[in-house]
Amino acid sequence: MECSFALTGNGYVLVASDTTAARSIVKMKTDEDKTKVLGPHLVMTYSGEPGDTVQFAEFVERNLRLHQIRHHQALRPQSAASWIRRALADSLRSRSPYAVNLLVGGFDTSVAAIREETEAVGGEPKLYWIDYLGTMAEVPFAAHGYGSYFALSLLDRYHNPQASLDEGIATLRRCIDEVSKRLIVAPSNYKVRVVDKDGVREVEL
Amino acid sequence: MANASFYQSAGFDFSNDVRNQFLQDKGLPLPKATSTGTTIVGCLFKDGIVLGADTRATEGDIVADKNCEKIHYITDNIRCCGAGTAADTEFTTALISSNMELHALSTGRKPRVVTAMTMLKQMLFRYQGHIGAALVLGGVDSTGAHLFTIHPHGSTDKLPYVTMGSGSLAAMAVFESEWRPNMEKNDALRLVTAAISAGIFNDLGSGSNVDACVITATHTEMLRNFVKPNERAVKERNYKFRRGTTAWKMENIRSLVVDETVTLIAPPVGGDAMDTT
Amino acid sequence: MSIMEINGGSVIAMVGKECVAIACDLRLGNQALTIATNFEKIFPVTDRLYLGLPGLATDVATLRERFRFRVNMYTIKEEREITPETFARLVSSTLYEKRFGPYFVEPVIAGLSPVPSASGKPEKWEPFIAATDLIGCLNFAKDFVVAGTSSDKLFGVAEGLWEPDLEWEDLFETISQTLMNAVDRDAFSGWGGIVHIITPDKVITRTLKARMD
Repeated sequence: MECSFALTGNGYVLVASDTTAARSIVKMKTDEDKTKVLGPHLVMTYSGEPGDTVQFAEFVERNLRLHQIRHHQALRPQSAASWIRRALADSLRSRSPYAVNLLVGGFDTSVAAIREETEAVGGEPKLYWIDYLGTMAEVPFAAHGYGSYFALSLLDRYHNPQASLDEGIATLRRCIDEVSKRLIVAPSNYKVRVVDKDGVREVEL
Repeated sequence: MANASFYQSAGFDFSNDVRNQFLQDKGLPLPKATSTGTTIVGCLFKDGIVLGADTRATEGDIVADKNCEKIHYITDNIRCCGAGTAADTEFTTALISSNMELHALSTGRKPRVVTAMTMLKQMLFRYQGHIGAALVLGGVDSTGAHLFTIHPHGSTDKLPYVTMGSGSLAAMAVFESEWRPNMEKNDALRLVTAAISAGIFNDLGSGSNVDACVITATHTEMLRNFVKPNERAVKERNYKFRRGTTAWKMENIRSLVVDETVTLIAPPVGGDAMDTT
Repeated sequence: MSIMEINGGSVIAMVGKECVAIACDLRLGNQALTIATNFEKIFPVTDRLYLGLPGLATDVATLRERFRFRVNMYTIKEEREITPETFARLVSSTLYEKRFGPYFVEPVIAGLSPVPSASGKPEKWEPFIAATDLIGCLNFAKDFVVAGTSSDKLFGVAEGLWEPDLEWEDLFETISQTLMNAVDRDAFSGWGGIVHIITPDKVITRTLKARMD
């Protein structure tokens, strides 16, 4: 079953999503990328109803890109997340709503986000938990799917907002290992991405 | 994508309906709205009408408001008691009150009770009972004193004494045994108080105080909290906490006092000629 | 499980002597799973007016945006700040507009309303609280109003603890203890709390140390 995790650290946000595409009881493939890079400092994982997920993710991607072209400026993570939430809330009131759950991770490099305590890392990490109803919360760590029942309690114990990237990856590793060990329908592979002042890049576990 | 729903036309908006249907289909029941369990009554007397109501509003089995107002203003000489879904009675009477004022302005006559009754029943019938307002409408106009009940589906009755709401049976029992034609004002007021009290003390959906309203050809008298048979006793001890009982982690004080310092700039030396150097 | 209980959360407002207080818990859940413990449900409307929105979190966010827009439009058109009384009517009619497809929130309004004076500038402020149900039926209480998943518990505790004419320091203790004791008996609320006390010359916001279970 689908699982996605994300956590913030000192100057970065880590997001991870499983890579399984399943239909009924059959695993169709195990290298499906269910993350989307939305901007220079913005990345999103998506899960939910197959079909809706990709459609909605691409819709968001193209609209945020359009905004960037029009204004010569990408939306800040907070604004992008608010826009995405509104798109979902509006879609829920339409005849065919998107059933998509998201984790939006971003790194705010704008002047307003650079204060004394964030100066060294060049901005502020931001993470938003969004579900298909249009519920949004800014959180230090987040998870979707059955994995969340295991991961959230682990993250409660081990998450450190001041952790270095290596420590952050180790914590993420813990979550994935726990889910693999205890969840019957655990996915086998994950795609992990990190976003920091240098942008979005993939991380090998 | 973003719908332009900020400027909207008048009337109800069903844009949440698809989503709510979807949530309901998942087996989630819709939450309860405030309703007025209510005893409301009205009766004719020699010179006009007396209306009465209790003051309890309920939300399921919780008393949401212990002293709400259920006798609504329609015009100076017409009032309307509301039972049922509280928001519906509130907004329906407010709407009809506005329309009555406009009607009076455009016809240049004093408004009549039948006009309000017709407006109310036509509106409620149009909504086929979905607007859950059960009303007692009373007033005095150029054609005399009139008293109506209006049901949520739009049917109406014209009677000399009426009751509505969950306490209507208790109140009607009082009316049936004691109402007489051509009663004096004080007797009628006493009877209405007795009928509402019967609701307050025997019906769980009704409670607290008695509101009354006496309407005659010349005068309307609103008797808010006419009788208060359920006043809360003064607490014998207080439960004030010692300051500092509650532990808190963070405090932020935002001062709303604007500090102003006026810096006076000295006038130029040697008269007020403009400096042109 | 009702729609109101999906995300959980509670709000309470109380009247004091020349002050009002409004408080909420901080939990955001997805049924039994707690997603966030920093989810504030109270939002400032003007300097001396706050709005609490417990209920379905998606509607909390949507309505917050709508009210912000409508209050801004009011301020621009009328060239004055909205009063608590007017804002309560705005909330009520916004919700009743959706009578047959409601937003799942039970708003609570707390603020100080200006008493008009000869000089034009308000010198006195009167406490104002109100609450509405999900379709906008207003309840103007003189003492306290509650809403959310622990509303029945809040009713009980507040009924016992509240008394008239509390100074703001005492009102803080009363509202905090009421909130914390009520949400501790509610599985869907809690995980911290936040209190705003509005007085004529300052707004004090305190984050409470509460049970985290």
